[in-house]
Amino acid sequence: MRAFTASVQEVFREAAARWTLIAYFALSSLFILIFACAVNLDIVNGALAGAKLFGHSVDLGHRLTVDHLVLGFESGFSGFLYFLGTFLALFATAHLVPRLQEKGTIDLYLSRPVGRVPLLLSRYAGGLLLAAANLVYLIGAMWLIVVWKTRVLHPRFLLSGLVILFTFAALLAFAFLVGVVTSSTGVSLMATYALFFFGAALATHDRIAAAVSTELSARIIQGLYWALPKTAELLQATVALVAGEEAPERLARFDALGVYGSTAAFAIAALALASWLFSRKDF
Amino acid sequence: MAIPIEAQGLRKVYRSRWRGRSVAALDGLDLRVEPGEVFGLLGPNGAGKTTTVKILLGLTHPSAGEARLFGRPSSDPESRRRVGYLPEGHRFPGYLTARQTLSIFGRMSGMDRAALDRRAPALLERVRLSDWADVRVKKFSKGMTQRLGLAAALVHDPDVLLLDEPTDGVDPVGRREIRDLLQEEAARGKAILLNSHLLSEIERMCSRVAVLRAGRLAAEGSIEELTAGGSRYRLVASGVDERLLAAFRETGATIERVNGHFDLTARDVDHVNALVDRLRAGGGKLQELSPVRSSLEDVFVGLVRAGSGRGEGGVPA
Repeated sequence: MRAFTASVQEVFREAAARWTLIAYFALSSLFILIFACAVNLDIVNGALAGAKLFGHSVDLGHRLTVDHLVLGFESGFSGFLYFLGTFLALFATAHLVPRLQEKGTIDLYLSRPVGRVPLLLSRYAGGLLLAAANLVYLIGAMWLIVVWKTRVLHPRFLLSGLVILFTFAALLAFAFLVGVVTSSTGVSLMATYALFFFGAALATHDRIAAAVSTELSARIIQGLYWALPKTAELLQATVALVAGEEAPERLARFDALGVYGSTAAFAIAALALASWLFSRKDF
Repeated sequence: MAIPIEAQGLRKVYRSRWRGRSVAALDGLDLRVEPGEVFGLLGPNGAGKTTTVKILLGLTHPSAGEARLFGRPSSDPESRRRVGYLPEGHRFPGYLTARQTLSIFGRMSGMDRAALDRRAPALLERVRLSDWADVRVKKFSKGMTQRLGLAAALVHDPDVLLLDEPTDGVDPVGRREIRDLLQEEAARGKAILLNSHLLSEIERMCSRVAVLRAGRLAAEGSIEELTAGGSRYRLVASGVDERLLAAFRETGATIERVNGHFDLTARDVDHVNALVDRLRAGGGKLQELSPVRSSLEDVFVGLVRAGSGRGEGGVPA
């Protein structure tokens, strides 16, 4: 356990020393600051009298309440954070395996009484904790700003971080797999971003399958859809989770078990394969 | 007590992923290092020295054979609980200070903070890095990095040390200090496996040596055993003519005149005595007869050249 915690701590120390952590939090802070300055709401006796975004008045219509505005904003904004949080976290953690496997470094770690799989998993846990810390900061700060500006408490917004972290966990598992095989941070990042967009494109798998010319191609498309992380549906899930009962029907209607279950299965399979390959590798 | 380092029939074949060719880096190596012993592993580049060490540490998987540390197979991480390792060309994270480096690697070896707080300052003092304890490793010179590597290998007070070129980049004073430190550790009963190209270092430090050639053991023994001339002698005598030399050669001895003395090789001591009798009977006068001791370098070069037909860098499997 000491070795595991030392390795997790090492992930944070490395991130801080290499400016990754600082850049990660600085970018998030910049975003929070822009948001805090950009949104101005005029609330009179608990009712919304006017709103300005980047200094421009926003037409709110006649029937929009503060509550509705906050809900609409937070659910829409959670979708944006889904991209931002995932991409920043991947950028900050994709190096964890390639750097570990560098010649002259890996010998120092593996010559200690630490199993290879626990060592790899400690780096994975470190990466997840790093991303979680940033999501808590990013989402928590945005939520506090909204509360400060509107006096509306809407805790569901905070839950969006869980779905974002879940998506990141699946993508990080894949980045680890690519990292173990290639020992390259660049390739790990490119492959994982490609997976993200490919997974999103497969949300239209039914239409793609109908358009392809052969039965085999259609089956491959359907198979890939079920095998890969469902990044588009998870975006939908993030927004729907924040919007709650107010979510539009098209967002609220998705196979939650299928989306979460198959993405979790993908993550477990990728991490298991990465662990197996790492434990068999000659250094 | 279990043997600190043991290898039996160790074989490692590297296969080219695309071409299907394979090379045997190790080919049936047996090795045993006892407590208190400083054991030197010698060999030309590609002879299998580093592969041997990496297999012992579980960094590389053997194709056949067994490697054990204190009786535990090298595939078991627990086998490394009492092992300290200094790899060649090691790279500690540059952002860590010397103290943090010892802390991280000590904890990875299972040490608690209290034990580390006691051990780290003493160890940094021992490798002359006390003044640099809180400086980042990226500022260190090569020699300082090497001394820090040694401290990291020793941090958990291991019973086995595997050291790859421990004095690489270290100045002469530092080299002597490292030698003294290793001799002290050996005197405390630790088994030390030293992998080095510096034959003079090996000659000074090691009680036993193995020479690897193309993945196989070419020779093994104490420095005295390996460097003993065996049946080679330096002979200084007067009254030795060609007729007497021919008579010597007829008995199976080889004898050459070299710069005012003779280089004599005989089968054994009895053979030498018979040749001396023959010299005296032939009218010659013996002035000096002394055994010739080779340097470790002579032995090493001789062994490597003897097997040079097998090529450097392992043999095709």
